[in-house]
Amino acid sequence: MPCRNLAMLRGARAVRWFARCAALLACSGASAAADWDLSLDARLVSSNAQAPFMEGGLGTLRYGSDDQGLQLGRARFAVTQSLGELWSVHLDASMYDDKDRSPVGVTEAYLLFRPYPRAGWRLRMRAGGFYPPVSLENRAAGWDSPYTLSYSAIDSWLAVEVRTLGVEGTLDWLGTRAGGAFDLGVTAGAFGWNEGVGAVLAGGGFSLTDRQTPLFGRVGQPGVAPLYGTEPFLELDHHVGVYAGLEARYYDRVVLRVLRYDNRADPTRIDAVSAAIAWDTRFTSAGLRLEADHGWTAIVQWMSGETTIEPPGMQMNWPFRADYALISKRFGLRHSLSVRYDRFEVQATGDADGDGSQDGHAWTAAYIFEPDTHWRLALEWLRVVSSSYNRADLGGPPLLTETQLQLAVRYAIGSASR
Amino acid sequence: MIASLPAPGGAVAAALLINVQMPDGHPVAGAVVTVRPLDGAPRHATPVHAVMDQVNRAFEPDLLVIPVGSTVEFPNSDSVSHQIYSFSPPKRFQLPLYRGKPYPPVHFEQTGVVTLGCNIHDEMLAYLLVTDAPWFGRTDAAGAWSAELPRGRYRVALWHPRLRDSESDLERELTVGDGDRAELTVHLSKPLQPAPLADRPHSWDY
Repeated sequence: MPCRNLAMLRGARAVRWFARCAALLACSGASAAADWDLSLDARLVSSNAQAPFMEGGLGTLRYGSDDQGLQLGRARFAVTQSLGELWSVHLDASMYDDKDRSPVGVTEAYLLFRPYPRAGWRLRMRAGGFYPPVSLENRAAGWDSPYTLSYSAIDSWLAVEVRTLGVEGTLDWLGTRAGGAFDLGVTAGAFGWNEGVGAVLAGGGFSLTDRQTPLFGRVGQPGVAPLYGTEPFLELDHHVGVYAGLEARYYDRVVLRVLRYDNRADPTRIDAVSAAIAWDTRFTSAGLRLEADHGWTAIVQWMSGETTIEPPGMQMNWPFRADYALISKRFGLRHSLSVRYDRFEVQATGDADGDGSQDGHAWTAAYIFEPDTHWRLALEWLRVVSSSYNRADLGGPPLLTETQLQLAVRYAIGSASR
Repeated sequence: MIASLPAPGGAVAAALLINVQMPDGHPVAGAVVTVRPLDGAPRHATPVHAVMDQVNRAFEPDLLVIPVGSTVEFPNSDSVSHQIYSFSPPKRFQLPLYRGKPYPPVHFEQTGVVTLGCNIHDEMLAYLLVTDAPWFGRTDAAGAWSAELPRGRYRVALWHPRLRDSESDLERELTVGDGDRAELTVHLSKPLQPAPLADRPHSWDY
């Protein structure tokens, strides 16, 4: 069982990393001044899926049928250090141990400026690497979902390819602090290192995973079709990408988010050395989260966009869209049950002519038990039914049903768990 | 919390019972009742020293009614740091990032509603009602509040952080006369805005 042995070896490495971090924090005087978190998430996995994208495969799940048994879900270390009154630094590092080129990667790292509100208005500025404000389910520490282990197709794609490497400003109207029922915010971002965004959608399509590509990380494996170890965070054309969004809140019950994203890449640009091509990608997303008494939460999210490349003499377009609806019921603070239905579709038009098209849907059901602030147990069943041009092109079945069952145990220590 | 002053020399006290109800007749718990005399010399409640703690990323309690001139201490019992700000006209202030109890109590010299937030955790929300009324308190689970006060004419006002009625529409004048007790039931004309959600893990983003 070389596979099992490899998994155990990786797991042992993650445990050593976790222990080293814990020892370092215990000895460090700086830990008293900073808020920090350390967690280790181990999984017991059963899956009949094809090889996942990190192995270069076209499986739509994080674990393929070769990844049965004990796996490292995530080892995570995060720290927030205040710098004086209004500034802070956030760093989120994770180890997934799944053939990425470096064992530990930084998923988010940014400087936050958060001055005090004035007459109901407040500005927030971020600079560094972070997620644009799209997700409504990934609200737990480390951009994880508190409802399910695997993210929706939309959020999985953001996790794999999309990050702001640049600056973002948000202006909030804190209406609930001024006697009102609504808070409003407008956000705008400008970013670079974005010309790889879209390559995974066009090459592999959507997937449902909780594997976040570290900043400047790699997706897939070099030399393995169709992703060839693509790099989402590339700068080729020196065009600045932009996004703008709106957020409205009704007390702590309703959140509405809309965002328009455009990386403004030059789709004709090809890197002379690596032959990497610039992907011109833009999308619109809209989502609504409703929370009610007795622990009920409902989320609906929708995204529609397109990615384009224009190698000499060609124009290839991949319009894509995805949406999901999630219902979750919390029983006190410790138990929750959630069900999500995802739909996703990538078309291939122009000179792409069907190459890379994918469509599918998925059901996710998860039970999460948090006996205290340190431990989390999660059981998740996830089934994806998808058809894929590329899978058929590489000799696989065009239509496939993949099912993954995960039992996860996570232990966390740190400021939030004390 | 009930504040009452002893009846002035010679005046006989009577009981005032206020009931606050939703439009459908359900009781309104936690409504703030303030009672001011319409006759005689102005009277004020004695300033107090109150404490509003921060526990599990929430203010505890999330509403305090204090007489004007009172002081409030804002300890932070969490392991994470908090900042406090208010841009409400009766008291604009901020307490820079802290844990524990590093700051002296804050003095509230003007009447009105002071809304408090934490600049780090936007889900944290609390209210201070600073009042010059000699009698005040909050309704219990049955929507009731009572006080002993001298016979005379009074204006009764109501406030609740989730009120949709205008406060002036809920003001009532009444006379506490010869009987031993006076009763007043106030019906809101619109239901309250929904209460803050309970049982949401405090580690989630708001």
